[in-house]
Amino acid sequence: MLARALEAEGIATTSISMVREHTEKVKPPRALFVPFPFGHALGRPDDPALQHRVLAAALALLAEPAGPVLRDFPEDAGPGDQPPAPTQASAVAPADRIPGDAVAEAMEMLPHQVQWLAASGGRTAFGLAGVPITRMGDVVRFLQTFVDGGDADLPERPRELALPGFIRYCADDLKALYFQGRMAMKPTAGGDEITRWFWSETAVAQLLRRVRDRLDASDDPRWKAAAFGVAR
Amino acid sequence: MIEEDAGVEVRVSGVPDHELQRDDLAGLHRRGDKPFGPGEQTYRLIAADTPTVDIVQSHTSLGFDRVAIMRDVNISFPIDRLRELVGRGVLGALAPYSYSFMGAQREVARIEGETGPEVGRRLREEGVDVALVTPT
Repeated sequence: MLARALEAEGIATTSISMVREHTEKVKPPRALFVPFPFGHALGRPDDPALQHRVLAAALALLAEPAGPVLRDFPEDAGPGDQPPAPTQASAVAPADRIPGDAVAEAMEMLPHQVQWLAASGGRTAFGLAGVPITRMGDVVRFLQTFVDGGDADLPERPRELALPGFIRYCADDLKALYFQGRMAMKPTAGGDEITRWFWSETAVAQLLRRVRDRLDASDDPRWKAAAFGVAR
Repeated sequence: MIEEDAGVEVRVSGVPDHELQRDDLAGLHRRGDKPFGPGEQTYRLIAADTPTVDIVQSHTSLGFDRVAIMRDVNISFPIDRLRELVGRGVLGALAPYSYSFMGAQREVARIEGETGPEVGRRLREEGVDVALVTPT
């Protein structure tokens, strides 16, 4: 759809597709279907050789007329050890023993975040909510008040951003803190392993399950949409 | 509808004597930019010289594995790979900006009728020949 709009302005396009059925329906002018899990459009993270092969195959389609053309990535590269679609919270049972203090647990992740920043050269997915990382304890308390039915808010919430959207960003930042911290603790762990660890063994994940439940209990579609983004 | 995994539009650069732009649909933007909201049909600009570590993603759908892009933004936005191709002379140049759109769109009328063509016109004015569209 976007590719067609660009071609209409005289820009030749080539696209990467991860959902063949969708691409067959939308019919972009040129598309390369890749057999990778969602979130892995270029193949594997930190694998420049594979990323270059995918890019070369996508750019090669520019020699084709605007068909629509849909080609398969010409390599038998499967999803590896990652599932085609991510594991969701509802598929992961909480462990028998989970820390009881989510605030303390979140603060204990901070040193691991420092390790992650050192290892990644400063790259971080944290920061959508605009609350400093040193105040993650306050974010956890805010969410605890919310699930307990209280009138919760934080001063960092922009006026134009409704509460459920802000809660979603707070949940995203907590996930970034934990996921990146786990990557620092266990550099070889893949996305599925980290996801299962988070939803099974951490107190913050159990809090997010309750956040999801309260958001989803609302009749407001914006609250339900936020619930869908916090946990499924 | 744009598939769940779609998200950003970024511009990259060109094939030999062409100027290439990269578009993708993954809700990517520069750190400090306003995050994308659900269903937002506008776009963000990412300058070609933006440091890779300053590119973040506010498309945080549970429909895809986010660990991959936490490790390496090139998994969705192959900016370092394209810079390498420019360095090798495979591509002519990166366009001055990439354009990023949000993913998981259910309603796309404004992208089709307004913001998509607007980006196309901007690209044309910038002398871009080719665009690469990537999802997340």
